[in-house]
Amino acid sequence: MDLKAVKSLLEENATRTWNPLGVRESYCSKWAEGLNLPKKGDTLLYTGCLYQMIPYIQTFSGLLKRLEGLGPFISNLALTMGRLLNSLGVNITSIMGIVTSRGERERYFSILRRIANALKTAGVDFAYMKEEPYNGVLYHDLGMDELFREHVVRLAKKIRETGAKKVITVDPHTTYMLNYLIKEFVDDFDVEVVHYMDVLLERGYTPKVRGPKEVVIHDPCYLARWNGVIDQPRALLTKAGVRVREPEFSRKFTGCCGGPIESLFPSLSSKLARKRMEELKASGSPCFTVMCPICLTNFQREARELGVRVFDIMEVIE
Amino acid sequence: MTDLTEVSQLLNKVSEDPVLRTALDRAIASYWNKRKQVMERYSYIKELADEVRRIKEWSIDHMEELLGRAIEAVEAKGGRAYVAETAEEARKIIGKLVGTGKVVTKAKSMTTEELKLREFLIERGNEVYETDLGEFLVQFLGPKPMHFISPSIHLTREKVAEFLKDFMGVEVDKDDVEGMVALVRKFLRDKYFSADVGISGANAFAADEGAVFLIENESNIRLSISLPPKYIAVVGMEKVVPTMSDAWKVVEVISRYGGYKVTSYINTVMGPARRGRGDIGPEEYHVIFLDNGRREASKDPILKQTLYCLRCGACQYLCPVFGVVGGYWAGLESAYSGGIGVMWEYVTGDKETATQHAFVCLLCGRCIEACPMRINQPEVLREIRRRLMEKI
Ligand code: SF4
Repeated sequence: MDLKAVKSLLEENATRTWNPLGVRESYCSKWAEGLNLPKKGDTLLYTGCLYQMIPYIQTFSGLLKRLEGLGPFISNLALTMGRLLNSLGVNITSIMGIVTSRGERERYFSILRRIANALKTAGVDFAYMKEEPYNGVLYHDLGMDELFREHVVRLAKKIRETGAKKVITVDPHTTYMLNYLIKEFVDDFDVEVVHYMDVLLERGYTPKVRGPKEVVIHDPCYLARWNGVIDQPRALLTKAGVRVREPEFSRKFTGCCGGPIESLFPSLSSKLARKRMEELKASGSPCFTVMCPICLTNFQREARELGVRVFDIMEVIE
Repeated sequence: MTDLTEVSQLLNKVSEDPVLRTALDRAIASYWNKRKQVMERYSYIKELADEVRRIKEWSIDHMEELLGRAIEAVEAKGGRAYVAETAEEARKIIGKLVGTGKVVTKAKSMTTEELKLREFLIERGNEVYETDLGEFLVQFLGPKPMHFISPSIHLTREKVAEFLKDFMGVEVDKDDVEGMVALVRKFLRDKYFSADVGISGANAFAADEGAVFLIENESNIRLSISLPPKYIAVVGMEKVVPTMSDAWKVVEVISRYGGYKVTSYINTVMGPARRGRGDIGPEEYHVIFLDNGRREASKDPILKQTLYCLRCGACQYLCPVFGVVGGYWAGLESAYSGGIGVMWEYVTGDKETATQHAFVCLLCGRCIEACPMRINQPEVLREIRRRLMEKI
């Protein structure tokens, strides 16, 4: 993979759609359809778009992995071709959208809907963004600080426009970004940021079991280590009566799913996923629960071959 | 420079090597068990690590001052001190001190690996022996030391037994690790007595006393540095702390986070043997203080963290990427390995290679949890990426 090509592709997609994979913001907010949510309010549920992007990430990285196998020339050529098509006004992402199955896309929307419904049941009023922007984390991870700055300055403005003083987040990366990273780039970002699990627990919400009654818990790195959200998922699962099994490496010492390097080193990334999944499997249940869309997609890919099932926590409880 | 293909091909290839995987799995499981025991038994260790972090921060901010104090102390005791600004300069100084046609015994030292010192001295017609078992294996089996504490972490005992059988021409039982250690010891014993020069690195260096601190488990270090008449210590400038008491703290933290309840031996050398006083030990004591990028890094607000590293190896054992590719991460040319290895390579070696390898990091942060100094490797590696991305 050539970083120059990666950089240009990301920049061009960002210019067109403010999204690294070219996924439209109007698509990202589709989870809210039919929920009758207001567009303004004191509290905002902001998803950061990662769940919505999973089907696209999967198609894209499947492609990258195959291209990686074909050698550097082909994979760099493909990146360049992607840019070329972009510049001709062909939207590859919408082509990818045809490839990804409807059921898949629906699955990730429904996780978000369940979070929204749980919050509602717990008595939380919140708004949403009709055109929901991506969280920008990939740009930051890759060291593309200028693009990240542009992205989060706009994001901060959009959040402000909703009138929110408090943002509820649903994934570890967006949570970390809003709690810490954005402050290095946007001067007056003084919105309170809370993870939805904290909100649910604070409201005394008692979930019900929806999926398996016993799961191995996988702490997402950014949730456990970088945001310190460790006891919360356990508390919710236990409240619902789900039996939680702890792997050898858990909590602050949890093992990474390999997802973060999946766009640059797809094969290595799946080896890391497998290794972690073997650790999880060794803790006694073939059902894993995760609380991060990146972990979800990276494990999902290997799940069938390893004979395990991977659930988002909101597919285990409701 | 911007093409990551070679990095990805190398790492993909080694991640499929079953011997490497078995070796790493065993080593990591064993480390994790030992670590849990050590943390439980010595509950004060985290506090001591915090104190060492403060000592290191102060020392790096006062590098020049400490260097001056260290040089003065070494020379006051009759030793000779040198400052080498580059690897090249260090090799030149050491090359002159050693000469040619000599026998050299070496303690395991990452800093001398950084200088590719063994290769250099051999090329100049010397016989050089690594006396640490792991490093001895690396000398003959390659490709490079794969871990700070456990350089032969990539080799299984089965592989080692196979090699020793060929090398020594005797039967070797693959399950008898002690027996293998004894074999190598026996082979090296003669070398200690015939050696002209002993060379080591340093785990810490006390400026006021001019004292080198060396931790070890095999007693090979004390033999390699006390029996030959000439002793050379190669000390990275980041190793210098103000006093002996500080150095002791550093040493304890290194060995505990390295997974040892106790290390078997801790050596300190404070000067040459004094003639006519019946002292036993080398009559020449040479200390080379190595800059090689360290001074520059000490002035860089983000890279500076690299210099707090004690090289205990904890982060390598616990890094998910390391668990799959071992020391190949950072590249075969680098003396260093893993995420922290990429940082060290960036500071002391080839910035281009280091930059490419910086993109492999998951930014998952388990290394921060593992590390006694709580060095933020993701932050540094991301910064290295940033410096490239803004240019291309
Ligand atoms: S970075 Fe920390 S854990 Fe890693 S070797 Fe250095 S001191 Fe040890």
